[in-house]
Amino acid sequence: MSEENKKRTADMPNIRPGGPRGPMGARLNAERPKNTRQTLGKLFKYIGKSRAVLTALLTLVLVVTVIDIAGPKLQQQAIDTIRFEDGRFTVDFDSMRFYLVLMGIIFAVSGVLTYMQSLLSAKLAQNTVYRLRRDLFRKISKLPIKYTDDHRHGDIMSTMTNDAENVSNAVSQTITTLFSAVMTLIGVGVMMIYYSPIMTLAALVTIPVTIVFSAKLGRFMRKYFADQQKLLGKLNSHVEEMVSGYRTVAAYGREKKAVSDFAESAGKLRACSIKARVCGAVMGPVMNFLGNLQYVILAALGGILMIKFPDSPVGAGITVGTIQAMLTYSKKFTHPINMIANQYSTLMTALAGAERIFAVMDSEDETDNGTKSVSAEEVGGNIEFENINFGYVADEPVLKNFSLSVKSGQKIALVGATGSGKTTVINLLMRFYEPQSGRITIDGTDIRDIPKEDLRHLISIVLQDTVLWNDTIRSNIKYGNLSASDEQTEKAADTAMAARFIERLPEGYDTVISEGGTNLSQGQRQLLAIARAVLADPKILILDEATSSVDTRTEMNIQKAMINLMKGRTSFIIAHRLSTIRDADVIVVLKDGVIAEAGSHETLINQGGEYFKLYSRQSAGLAT
Amino acid sequence: MKKMFSYLKPYWLCAVISPLMMILEVVADLSLPYLMAYIVNYGIMGIDVNDPNEGSALAGRILQTLFGSDFSQVTIIIITFGVLMLLITLIGGFFGTFSAYTSAKAAHGLGYDLRRDAYGKIMSLSIEQTDKFTTGSLVTRMTNDISVIVDFFEMLLKGFVRSPMFIIGGTIMILTLDLTFSAVLLCAIPALVIVIACVLIRVTPIYARVQKKLDKVNSVVGENVGGARVVKAFVREDYECSRFDKANEELKNENYRSLKTMAIISPMLTIIMNFSVIAVIYIGGFNIYIENAGFNTGDIMAAITYITQVINSVMMATNIFQSILRAGASAKRVNEVLETEPIIKSGNGESSCKDTAVSFRNVSFRYPGTQGRPVLKNINIDVKKGETLAVIGSTGCGKSSLACLVPRFYDATEGEVLVNGVNVKDWDIEKLRAKIGYVMQKSELFSDTIEGNIRWGNPDASHEEVISAAKTAQADDFISGFAEGYGTFVAEKGASLSGGQKQRISVARALVRKPEILILDDATSALDLVTEAKLRSAIKEKAKDTAVIMIAQRIASVMEADRIAVIENDGSVLHVAPHEQLLKESSTYRDIYDSQMREYGVKGGKANV
Repeated sequence: MSEENKKRTADMPNIRPGGPRGPMGARLNAERPKNTRQTLGKLFKYIGKSRAVLTALLTLVLVVTVIDIAGPKLQQQAIDTIRFEDGRFTVDFDSMRFYLVLMGIIFAVSGVLTYMQSLLSAKLAQNTVYRLRRDLFRKISKLPIKYTDDHRHGDIMSTMTNDAENVSNAVSQTITTLFSAVMTLIGVGVMMIYYSPIMTLAALVTIPVTIVFSAKLGRFMRKYFADQQKLLGKLNSHVEEMVSGYRTVAAYGREKKAVSDFAESAGKLRACSIKARVCGAVMGPVMNFLGNLQYVILAALGGILMIKFPDSPVGAGITVGTIQAMLTYSKKFTHPINMIANQYSTLMTALAGAERIFAVMDSEDETDNGTKSVSAEEVGGNIEFENINFGYVADEPVLKNFSLSVKSGQKIALVGATGSGKTTVINLLMRFYEPQSGRITIDGTDIRDIPKEDLRHLISIVLQDTVLWNDTIRSNIKYGNLSASDEQTEKAADTAMAARFIERLPEGYDTVISEGGTNLSQGQRQLLAIARAVLADPKILILDEATSSVDTRTEMNIQKAMINLMKGRTSFIIAHRLSTIRDADVIVVLKDGVIAEAGSHETLINQGGEYFKLYSRQSAGLAT
Repeated sequence: MKKMFSYLKPYWLCAVISPLMMILEVVADLSLPYLMAYIVNYGIMGIDVNDPNEGSALAGRILQTLFGSDFSQVTIIIITFGVLMLLITLIGGFFGTFSAYTSAKAAHGLGYDLRRDAYGKIMSLSIEQTDKFTTGSLVTRMTNDISVIVDFFEMLLKGFVRSPMFIIGGTIMILTLDLTFSAVLLCAIPALVIVIACVLIRVTPIYARVQKKLDKVNSVVGENVGGARVVKAFVREDYECSRFDKANEELKNENYRSLKTMAIISPMLTIIMNFSVIAVIYIGGFNIYIENAGFNTGDIMAAITYITQVINSVMMATNIFQSILRAGASAKRVNEVLETEPIIKSGNGESSCKDTAVSFRNVSFRYPGTQGRPVLKNINIDVKKGETLAVIGSTGCGKSSLACLVPRFYDATEGEVLVNGVNVKDWDIEKLRAKIGYVMQKSELFSDTIEGNIRWGNPDASHEEVISAAKTAQADDFISGFAEGYGTFVAEKGASLSGGQKQRISVARALVRKPEILILDDATSALDLVTEAKLRSAIKEKAKDTAVIMIAQRIASVMEADRIAVIENDGSVLHVAPHEQLLKESSTYRDIYDSQMREYGVKGGKANV
């Protein structure tokens, strides 16, 4: 698949205009110039939103860290009450008891504080990831249709689960550890300066090396971890696509190919993860080495200064005690640095995840800056398409200078060969896509000036591909109008001729529609979609091949039932079955993106143009 | 979990090397404090190495081998042990990295195998089974769950020798010191075990719930991404957000619950550890106080060190334990996939082309797990080679179900379906499906080029064959119209194409495999009648020997068929006959005919045929 894949991602042309195909597509081969600092900044903004929790947590970490440093000191004092005198051990038992009681109290307090600290960091992590997921989902719901058309669905889902999970892990583990490590480092650093500023300076020699090295290694790790997340996203979309299209996969015996494609991505994931892990594993030893190097430098320098230059200004004041203290602190340095190194992988994975999350969050919203609020009661439903030019790809216009005037209450049928632009007209009216030039008005108001919410509230649409949720039939119909009563729901189902089959189901309206939709036929699904649209009680109704899988008698009955319903409302109907559209007030015949002709059935038949040709060919087909 | 361990087998070498390397790293780590002490004692403090009380034989021997018997330079001592320290750090680091490499290799290798097998399993399941699992859940199982298992194994391989080594070693050392000290351990360890056990018992079911909630989040996102048009069209963004918030909130709460339960462990361990230390000092001090001989500062210090070590190691072991639980929950979910046996099992028979391509014998069918009346009732139809059988009937009467039985998406509840005279249950399922070109009602295309999508039907097809199939499917014209032609990329689920375009590509996909049986399940509903008629006659011409089963709504689509089967509302078939005969014999057919005739102005079914 690798070759195929490269093609897909890099060279494959796109029917849709502009932009790379899928987030992983374009970036797969690219180096990542992404700004880590920016990602970190955004992430911290999220973490910072739980300010109270964060402040409490950091305070606790500080206290616990101080106790952790003070604990051993007390312990030392307790033990120091034992003395070796006159060849035997004696003890000042009272002071020992005092120290032990003090230790007990402090440790009990520290235990309670540690528990609170764990709770707070769990809370912080969960709050942060909850907010991230919530905002990400809101963002997804605001993205233009083009985005979901262009991106692989499984990959978007992976951002929501895998990437967000990684961020959560990092927040719960890393923040406490990092903060406590940094605190310890600062404390130790201050103590070292106190003992000997000169030797501290020498100890600092290793720090630039540490920084340069971790930055270098970090760059590698970021790349591997980012690739790892991308590959995980790819696996996700592969499984999602193949499982949801499983019938086709099975029908065409593509199971083995699917497995081998999957295995190839999984193999890449394996290779990439191993590299990432090894990079992460190098971090610890190197930090150890640098820590020990510091120890040796301190020991050697201290020794030389003390012995060779006792009288020089630098060497003055350095005693065995000073060196010993410095060495003890140097050892204390290693522990927090090790802790940081251990968290490095978690942090990098989280960063890679956060980057993918923010990449989605940073993509452009659906444009929605209309301010002229409209409500269904006020709208008459006069729709005007004025000189619309549109193409999904810049050089391939789908609609050319398309103009159409629709009066309130009219039933408009769009007819034409496949691909002639019928659905596109609807896409533009719904503002799923924006025309390149020209405008659409409702009652004289440019639809771009109407808030999308208001615009879409006016319109109900039944799509070519029926989308139903994995929920009960009742909830699916009520999707059209959440506040509808059960009676209204059932009435809508009745209008859509769906009531009969629903009532025949053992659980009636409470039947849960399974994900693969095995329990309903395609036609039945269409009937439910129609019921949903009917229940929405729209000013404008759009039926885009909405009854293509419904038998003609049922369709006829639906039409009869809808006549009353659609009085004073505008409707658009796209269909190939001429029985569906014959009654339309205006039949618009599209050809190659322009209106070939328009008029009522009778007028068009008499004209003897395109419609007549279509019609007579169909009747001829029928009458042989 | 046991099954997961068997997946480690191919990587046994790495799985063995990794802990061994870890032992070496631990040894290197443990030797460092000695070297540090040498530097302080013999370098800085200037103690003589050979001093019988304070000296060290080992350090003396090291210096002697390097410099001979005569040396006294303090700087040399410091630098010698310093260099040694750094060398050992490097060696230890090497072992550590190697251990990480081998454990990563084993764990991710295991993950790879597991993914491959589990996915292979999914791809062998029957439709009803994948439907039952739901897409969202299968997706989480394949990615997230397996990642959890992989992480666990990585941690296990690196950690599982380290902690027991420290625990056992430390315990032995304490026992050699004084039995009174071991009393502390005797109290501490059971307390630890009880705390840990209690927490783990409580947290286990939570982990399983966490993964379930994650499934739910995944499902909502999946539905919304897939159904974005409907969500937007009905302005249900807020509703969907609240639906998502609920799933998200539940996930958060469940996650928090698990973390909260686990949170008690670390402070409890710290408290137990610190109180053990206090106890040790107290016992030591008290014994000295009552002038019990045999207790000294050194012993107390040593006992503290060992007890801390043992309890710290228990803590580390707990981490491994905790991830066992998480991994256990995930392993269970992956196992569910691995252990599901496809309901529809392949036979091993095959049969070459016979005169009768497909026959339904007394077939009744009801969807698995449903009750009530069967979808199809006692159906008997034969479809001959080269014959076109059309199927017509009202919505939901079972037309598609009938077609589903041929490639064994489902098995008939009663009766049998024969292909080339052999019961489909006896067929090798791969060979059976290879003979069938199936075009579904809902055309499913995949993110690939148009040519790639058509080639799904036959991966070995030449470019010419692809074009020829597209021509027959009346798709060549519009495909050639695209700037990139056959190389045009199709978005996921074909979102970038119109309904009719998708259908024609799907038909081309079926045709390119030159099927013996072609099933068109309402596959041309989005085509205008002219195009559809052209397509039908092209198929007739190109695929003379193919048995065609064509499901349709439009009379015009079916009337030219050799025979038409009319499925009644109760799922039975009363009439299978050509158009004209049906008009006379079948009232259902006449009804359908009349309803469609209306549009041509011939009312009441008195069409002059």
